[in-house]
Amino acid sequence: MSAASQPIRGANWRGLSWRRVLLASEPYLYTLPAVLLICVVMLVPLLIGLSYAFHDVSLLNPSGGEFIGLEHFRELNADPAFWNALRNTVTWTVASVTLQFGFGLVLALLLNRLFPGRALIQLLVFLPWAIPSFLSGLNWAWLFNPVVGPLPYWLKALGVLADADNLLSHPRHALWGPIIANVWWGIPFFAITLLAALQSIPADIYEAAAIDGAGPWVRFRRITLPFLAPTMAITILLRTVWIANFADLIVIMTKGGPADSTQILASYIFTQAFQRLDFGYASAVATVLLALLLAYAMVLMLLRAALARRN
Amino acid sequence: MELHGKGYWAMHYLLLAAFVVFALFPLFWLLKVSITPNDLLYSEGVRLWPSRASAAHYASVIAHSQFPLFFRNSVIVATTTALFSTLFAAAAGYGFSRFQFRAKYWIVGLMLITQMFPLVMIIAPIFRLLKPLGLTNSLTGLVVVYTAFNVPFASFLMQSFFDAIPKDLEEAAMLDGANRFAAFRRIIVPLTLPGLAATVGFVFTAAWSELLFALMLNSSSAASTFPVGLLAFVSKFSVDFGQMMAAGVLALLPVCLFFVFIQRYLVQGLTAGAVKG
Amino acid sequence: MSAQTLKIAACPRIAAGLLIAACLLAAAPGHADTTLKLVEVLTSPERTETLQSLVNAFEKQNPGTHVEITSLAWSSAFEKFATMVSAGDTPDVVEMPDRWLSLYAKNGNLENLEPYLAQWSETKGLNDRALEIARAVDKTAYLLPYGLYLRALFYNKTLFKQAGIAAPPKTMEEFRDDAKKIAALPGKSGYCLRGGPGGLNAWIMFGAAMAGNNIFFRPDGSSTLNDPGWIKGTAWTVTLYKDGLAPRDSVNWGFNEIVAGFYSGTCAMVDQDTDALIAIAERMKPDQFGVAPMPKGPSGKAYPTVGYVGWSIFKSSLHKDLDWKLIKALDDPAGNLIWNKRVGALPIYKAAEQAPFYSSDQLKGWFQELADPDEVPTLMPTNLPGFAYFADSLVVRTGQQALLGQISPEDMNKQWAVYLTKAKQKQLSGK
Repeated sequence: MSAASQPIRGANWRGLSWRRVLLASEPYLYTLPAVLLICVVMLVPLLIGLSYAFHDVSLLNPSGGEFIGLEHFRELNADPAFWNALRNTVTWTVASVTLQFGFGLVLALLLNRLFPGRALIQLLVFLPWAIPSFLSGLNWAWLFNPVVGPLPYWLKALGVLADADNLLSHPRHALWGPIIANVWWGIPFFAITLLAALQSIPADIYEAAAIDGAGPWVRFRRITLPFLAPTMAITILLRTVWIANFADLIVIMTKGGPADSTQILASYIFTQAFQRLDFGYASAVATVLLALLLAYAMVLMLLRAALARRN
Repeated sequence: MELHGKGYWAMHYLLLAAFVVFALFPLFWLLKVSITPNDLLYSEGVRLWPSRASAAHYASVIAHSQFPLFFRNSVIVATTTALFSTLFAAAAGYGFSRFQFRAKYWIVGLMLITQMFPLVMIIAPIFRLLKPLGLTNSLTGLVVVYTAFNVPFASFLMQSFFDAIPKDLEEAAMLDGANRFAAFRRIIVPLTLPGLAATVGFVFTAAWSELLFALMLNSSSAASTFPVGLLAFVSKFSVDFGQMMAAGVLALLPVCLFFVFIQRYLVQGLTAGAVKG
Repeated sequence: MSAQTLKIAACPRIAAGLLIAACLLAAAPGHADTTLKLVEVLTSPERTETLQSLVNAFEKQNPGTHVEITSLAWSSAFEKFATMVSAGDTPDVVEMPDRWLSLYAKNGNLENLEPYLAQWSETKGLNDRALEIARAVDKTAYLLPYGLYLRALFYNKTLFKQAGIAAPPKTMEEFRDDAKKIAALPGKSGYCLRGGPGGLNAWIMFGAAMAGNNIFFRPDGSSTLNDPGWIKGTAWTVTLYKDGLAPRDSVNWGFNEIVAGFYSGTCAMVDQDTDALIAIAERMKPDQFGVAPMPKGPSGKAYPTVGYVGWSIFKSSLHKDLDWKLIKALDDPAGNLIWNKRVGALPIYKAAEQAPFYSSDQLKGWFQELADPDEVPTLMPTNLPGFAYFADSLVVRTGQQALLGQISPEDMNKQWAVYLTKAKQKQLSGK
């Protein structure tokens, strides 16, 4: 039965409203499976996890804590380690995302052309993403260790390091070790997603623009960027959120040291939960991080909506 | 039409070479350590290639460890997760892209929030949720959790790919008498094959290399995936780097195969324009 | 006879047969298979193999019992086990390290083993230290230890020969001198300092040796770590680092890095437990390394730290008697010897020290230590609430700050003392 071509027969009142209900509920039907799964598996545990922030919860008896309101939040406001971790989190996230995105975009543009061997190259540059983060962390830690790895000697030869020591032991620069490992690991993410987006830009638009005399930079700015904008927005948003919460590389490569110089909020949360055994406090820190990331997400969405309106 | 000159191509290849070297060097090191015999591991650490290569680590990983089982589990979990995630995400992403509805922002917000909370804090509640359902110590439980965790990202990704396709396509099809779902299936989906391929690829690799849930939710080796197996090489006194790197290298093979498989869809070629009149 | 008669005649027999079969089938579960859940945490493939063989012997001795072994990877064992316990997934018997004992015992998860010990014939064969350790929390035995891990000094014989040093250092003065001689060799260092996680033991050993005692707390619960002797000890370690006798990177070294340094011959001396011997022996030849007692301080004494691991029964277990039988099988003199040979711990039985296994060249170093009255094995206050945070977080951070010169050793000791005093007084009052 074709929906649109049949005249609407007023006589079948029930049939009319059923169709309207169906049409109105269409979006819900499309999104239902995803929403249901997420609600059941993640929402409830998330709410429970959030509730720990307001209770005095010990590791082994999560349900047995007494309600202490905002006590944990007052505690973290006065905790210099928290603020240190927050600062490091910002450095970590901004540096990682910017470098990953920048290099990923360049790589995507490079791969967007047809050339012999493209399939192979695409596979090779994708491989870092396929390594589990903890193996990648161990591997990079190995590479940076002068006893068993070549990097300190190369860095010294390049003049970056004064002596062939382990970058991961320098309190001021240690964070760059995990950042480099993170960039290595994360470039494929941006490269492949941006490439897929680039692939959907029709070739004739470029050709038409070139015929009109537009140079490569103008073509990039006026055609490529707008097409990429939705994908860019979402990948940057998600990647920022993930990286802010991603402590694996840091925990494996430097364990937050030396002297907490590479401690980020995500690794701090882990320490508080499993070393100080204070699940409540850890949850409070996580809640603050969540609030910050939500604020960031909203800003980004508003920015994107404003840009879309302008175009 | 040749848009670029020879200088451009030289630069192009040079940059590509730089990326490939950067991507491959740590992997090369992984390979190098995997063929270094234990006694040379520390004394010849810095050399680019050991003086005496040995396949002993690979032999022990394949023959004497439980890795074949772990790989099998990982393949099952990763492909199932990729399949379901992409299905749910394509549907949800389409819903976000094409419709404006009241609950949309709540749903998007919900999906975003689930990505923002550190997993370490919700492991215990998830464990307690899955245990009475018999989903702990099982591959099914992992698939359920992985799908739930990957669907938000996959949905947003799919949404952005759908956004790039103008709505008039389905509208035209629906005017011709098809219903929306048929238009979605027959017209929109084929146009977003690169997006689908990218999503499938990402979810597969995310599920393939995930460690935290696999470690915490499953205890028996029958239900362990390969990252958990890797962790077992880290004992109290030694990190068995040789075997661990060998297992890591072996684990790249299924991922490579999978990627080769989706590659065809990922790159549709420049001539397959999206919107031809 | 007609077929019908046959049938009728057979019926009662068939019925009887069916009845008997049904009874047997119903009775078999009655000898029910009991499954015990055993969790091991210091997992390695070799240990699991040995554990499995001990368990197989137990199963043969106790038909109808099956033991399911769950092996947790040590690097994540604490978090994983805590998650399991908090979600109600508790085992029957668990391998309990000293650092965890206080947490689970105080939380009421562990069964009191005193009644079982009182009735066991082998209890009097346990050496005093073993019993003291078993009763570390509330003077009640919550675990039965299987072995002791004593710190000793591993040294690189090749490097020593190169630097012209004849014998391993006996005092801290000699230790410093030897480290200096070796650091003079190009590209080498004297001491594999563990500035990162897990370094607490070394700080304590050198601190105590300088202070001349291993008393952590005064009777009122205040910590002694602030005393001049202890400060001298920590300052001594910091000076080792500042003078370049330990590698520059060692400020952030954890276990992997110190052994990498030791195996590769980058640093000549490292302090480690008995169980590290197995791993080191796999990677270095016997003539390349040796084991010596920890060097003594100015008071003529040294205080090597001692750790322990044992077996505990969970209170939530439904088969406590069977659990105790399992522990007996794993930990009676015969089982204990087999197990310790594999794990490399020192035995808990007085008689075992005579076993030929323990007179090998390498293990001699430890027995020398045990025999020497001036080497006083020191138990760390692991039963203190908040000790994990102290050892894994506070000490690591402040230790690194001190090594880097960001704070002074006095400052560091003061912070330690303040934290420990608070924890100890909480423990004393909370009792």
